[in-house]
Amino acid sequence: ETFNIQTSFNAGDFSTQYITENWLPEIEARTEGRIKIILTPNGSVVPARETPDAVAAGVIDGDFTSVNYFAGLEPAYAIMGDLISGYDTPEQMLGFCKDGGGEAMMQKAADAITDGEVTVVACGPYSREALAARTPIRTFEDLQGMKIRSPEGLAAAVFSAAGASPVSIPFSEVFGALEKGIVDAADASAYVNNDATGLQDVAPYPLYPGIHSMPSMQLTVNTAKWDGLSADDQAALRTWWYDAMYAMAAEVSKQDAEIAARDDATDKIEVIDWAQEDRDQLRVVARQQWEDYAKKSELAQEALDAHIAYMTKIGLFK
Amino acid sequence: MKRIFALYADVMDNISVFVGQACSVLFFACIAISAAEVVLRYGFDAPTLWSTELAMTLCASAWVLSVGYVTQRHRHISITMMELIVGERVWRIFRLFQMLIATGALFVLTLALHHPASKVLGRTEYSGTAMNSLAPTYLKVLLFVGCIFYILQLLANIVRWTQNTEGDLTGGH
Amino acid sequence: MGIEIITLLIVASLLGLMALGVPLGITTLTVSLATAILYFGERAGFFIVAANVGEVLHKYELIAVPFFVFMANVLERSGIAKSMFDSMAIMGGRFRGSVGVQTTFVAVLLAAMSGIMGGEIVMLGLIALPQMMRLGYDRKLAIGIICAAGALATLIPPSVVLIIYGLAAQVSITKLFAASAVPGLILATLYIIYILVRVRLNPSLAPIYDVPETGLPFFQRMRYLKGIILPALLIGTVLGVIYSGVATVTEAAAIGAVGALVVAAARKELNWVMARDAMRQTVLTVGSIIWLVIGAVSLIGIYNRIGGGEFLRGVLTSLDIGPIWVIVVMMLIVMVLGTFLEWIAIIFITVPIFAPVVIDLGFDPVWFGVLFAMNIQMYYLSPPFGPACFFLKSVAPKEIQLQEIFVAVLPFIALQAVGLFLVLAFPQLALWLPSMLD
Ligand code: NA
Ligand code: NA
Repeated sequence: ETFNIQTSFNAGDFSTQYITENWLPEIEARTEGRIKIILTPNGSVVPARETPDAVAAGVIDGDFTSVNYFAGLEPAYAIMGDLISGYDTPEQMLGFCKDGGGEAMMQKAADAITDGEVTVVACGPYSREALAARTPIRTFEDLQGMKIRSPEGLAAAVFSAAGASPVSIPFSEVFGALEKGIVDAADASAYVNNDATGLQDVAPYPLYPGIHSMPSMQLTVNTAKWDGLSADDQAALRTWWYDAMYAMAAEVSKQDAEIAARDDATDKIEVIDWAQEDRDQLRVVARQQWEDYAKKSELAQEALDAHIAYMTKIGLFK
Repeated sequence: MKRIFALYADVMDNISVFVGQACSVLFFACIAISAAEVVLRYGFDAPTLWSTELAMTLCASAWVLSVGYVTQRHRHISITMMELIVGERVWRIFRLFQMLIATGALFVLTLALHHPASKVLGRTEYSGTAMNSLAPTYLKVLLFVGCIFYILQLLANIVRWTQNTEGDLTGGH
Repeated sequence: MGIEIITLLIVASLLGLMALGVPLGITTLTVSLATAILYFGERAGFFIVAANVGEVLHKYELIAVPFFVFMANVLERSGIAKSMFDSMAIMGGRFRGSVGVQTTFVAVLLAAMSGIMGGEIVMLGLIALPQMMRLGYDRKLAIGIICAAGALATLIPPSVVLIIYGLAAQVSITKLFAASAVPGLILATLYIIYILVRVRLNPSLAPIYDVPETGLPFFQRMRYLKGIILPALLIGTVLGVIYSGVATVTEAAAIGAVGALVVAAARKELNWVMARDAMRQTVLTVGSIIWLVIGAVSLIGIYNRIGGGEFLRGVLTSLDIGPIWVIVVMMLIVMVLGTFLEWIAIIFITVPIFAPVVIDLGFDPVWFGVLFAMNIQMYYLSPPFGPACFFLKSVAPKEIQLQEIFVAVLPFIALQAVGLFLVLAFPQLALWLPSMLD
C-alpha cells in the first residue's frame, strides 16, 4: 500500500532529506513492502492549514505536519503544537506524546475539527528552533523592547509578556525584514536549516539553543486507510515514526551543535546561549500565558493539564 | 417576460457597478493601514499585531467583490484572435459559449466552495495568529459569495446577449 | 491513464478553450475542476481545488499589486507621467531610441523596489506605454520593452521567486540575491542593445521627439531635468524606505501610493475626482488580475498528486547525457510546465527533484537558482500562457489585443534565451558576486 503524505518540511530541508534517504526505505523493509510512503513538501498538494480536511477527504493519505498550523481551528493545537518555552529537549516532549497521553490528546483535537476520518498515529517534535537575531539578546532583560517577528498567538503572547514587541510580518518578508533591520529577531527553523538559507548572514546573533519554540509534529493517516492495515502493520508504522523522530532529533541536535560551534568561531557570527536562570525566568512568564491561552477551549485546558502533569512527573516543575 | 429579463439585467448591472466602485474605499483603507503600520513601527516603536491581517482582509474583499463590476465592464482577460478568423456573426455565437462555460465553471466552483464555507460557519475558524481574527472564516464565505455574484452578473450579460443590448465588448466576459 | 496522456489532454483543452476566447482565468479553472473531479472523484476533487483557490486570498505579496496599480494610475492621470516622459525625451535630445533606453533604466529601478512579477509590468504598462505611443514609438517595440524589462522584477532583488526557490532548495537567499543581480543587468543591457540596433535599422520605430528643445546643447537640455525630479524623488523614497529598513517591500508599495498622491498635490493636480477615478480603474484592473491568479493556482496540487513529480524523476534518471545537458533538459521541462502551470506550482514540482540532482552533478545550486529564475521569466513572457502579457493587457489601451502583445514579446524572449545561455555557459557571471560574500 502506498501512502501519499504531505509534510510541513520544505523540499530541501535537512529533515526532508534525512527522512527520505534513511527512513522511507526503512518502513518498506520493516513491513516487507506492505507500506510505502511518498512524502511531498509543504503546500505542494494543499495549503498547510488544510491538511486535516485533505486527509479526511482522501486528497492525501496522511500528513506529517507541524500542528501549529491548526491553532486557528482548535486552540488545543497551539498548546499541543508548540508549548512556548516549555520543554527543554525534543526527547522530553516525544515522551509526552508516546507515553504521557499526548497521542490521545492529539486524536481528540483531530476529532474536533474533522468527522472522525483522521487517525493520529504518533506525535512529537524533533528540534528546538533557533531564534534568528540581528541584535544581541543575551539575557532575559535584553528582550525588553525587541521587535520580534512571531505571528503565532502563543509565541506573541509570551514575547509580549516578557517585554518584547511582537511583529506580524508575513513569511515571505521575513528574510528582508531581518536583513534590513525592520525587526530585531524572528522565529525561524532548526539551526541547520537556517544555516542553509543563509539566515545567519543577515541575523548574526542567533540564539542557540533556542529559547522559545519546539514545534511538535504529527503523523496522521486517513482512517479508512488505517483500518485497512493489519494490527502488526499499524504498530510497525507507529514504532517506525518514533524511531525516526528520535534518530532525527539526535542527528539534528548534533548537526546544529556542530554548525553553531563553527559559526561561533568566526568573527561574523556570535552564537548566544542563554544561561539557565534566564531560561527559567522566561518559563515562569510563559506559564502564565499558557494558562491564559488554555482558557480558549476546554480541549486546550485539557491539553495543558496533561502537559503540566507530565512535566511535573519528569521534574520540569516542582 | 422579455421586460422582466431586461429589468434583471439593469438591476444587476447597477448593483455590480455600485459594489465595484465601493471597493475603492477598501483599497484606500488598505493603503492607509499599511502606511500607518510603518509610521507606528518605525516612528513610535509600536508595531501592531492587526495591520497585516486587516490589510489582507480588506484587499481580499475588494478583489472578490469587484467581480461583478469587472464582468459587467467585460474586463476579464481573454484571447480574441478567433474573432478575426471566424467573423463577427460566428464570434457572436462564441461569445455565448464563453459565457456559458464561465457560468458552468463557476457553478461547479461554487459547489466546491460550499462545503468549506458551510463548515466554517458551523465551526468558526480563526487565524491562530496573535490577533486570532475571524479572517479565515470570513474569507471562505466571501469567496463563496463572490462566485455567486459572478454568476449573477454573467446571467445578466447573457440576457443582454439574447436581447442584443450589450455595450462595449472589447474585453472578455 | 498515464501522466503523459493526462498532460497532453490538459494542455490541449487549455489551448482549445483559450482559442475559443474563454477568459483565461475561467479556462484554467475549468480544466482544473474537470481534471480534479475526473481523477479524484467529487469530494476530493472539490476539496483540492477549493483549498488552493481559497489560499489566494491569504497571499500577502499580492497586496502590492493594487498599490502599484493605484500609484501608476495617479501618476498617469495627474500628468506627472507625461511631463516625466517629455523631460526624458528632451534630455535624450536627438539620440534615436533614447526614451526606450531610459524606460529600461527606469524598469531596472522599479525592479529593485518590486518583489513580484505583476506589480512592475502593470505599473510600466500604465505609465510608459501610453507615453511611448504618444512619442511615436512603434507599439510592438514599446510593448516588448515593457513586458521584458518589467519582468526583471523577478530577477533583480528583491524577488519572491528567488525567496521561494531558496526555501524550497535550501540555498542561501543572500547569495541568490547577489547572484541574480549581474544576470539581471546583463538582460537589461541586451534589451538596450536590441533597442538601439532596431531603431538604427528602422528609424521609423522611434522618431526623434519633434520639439525645438531637443536640438539644444546638452547642458541647456539639463534644465528639463525638472520634469523628472518629482518622480525621481518618489522612486528614491520607495527605494530608500526598503533599503534603510524602514518598511517591508509590500509596505513600501503602500508608501509609494501615498507618495504619488503627495507628488500630485505638489503639482496642484490632486483632486477628489482624479483620486476616485484612479482607484476605480485600480479596482477593475486588479479585479481582472485576481481571477487570472485564481485560475492559475487552481491547478496547483492536482498535477503533483497525479504523479507529475514521479514522472519527472523518471525522465531525469533515464537520461544518459552529459551533466550540462541534464541542466538543459531541466530548463526545457520548466519551459514546458510553464505552458500550463503557475510558477509556484512549477517550483513545488520541480525543485524537490532537480535540486538534489544539480548538487549530485557537482553544480552550484545558487547558479541553478539564477537559471531557474531566468527560465521562469521566459515562461512568464511566452505565449500562450504568458502572465506578463496578461498583466499588460489588463492595463493596456483597449485597441491593443493580447495576440499583438504575444507577437511583440517574441524577440525579447529570444534575448532572454541569449541571457540564459550566457549564464549557463559562463556560471561565473552569476557566481562571482556571491563568492565575494564568503
Ligand atoms: Na525585484
Ligand atoms: Na508561458
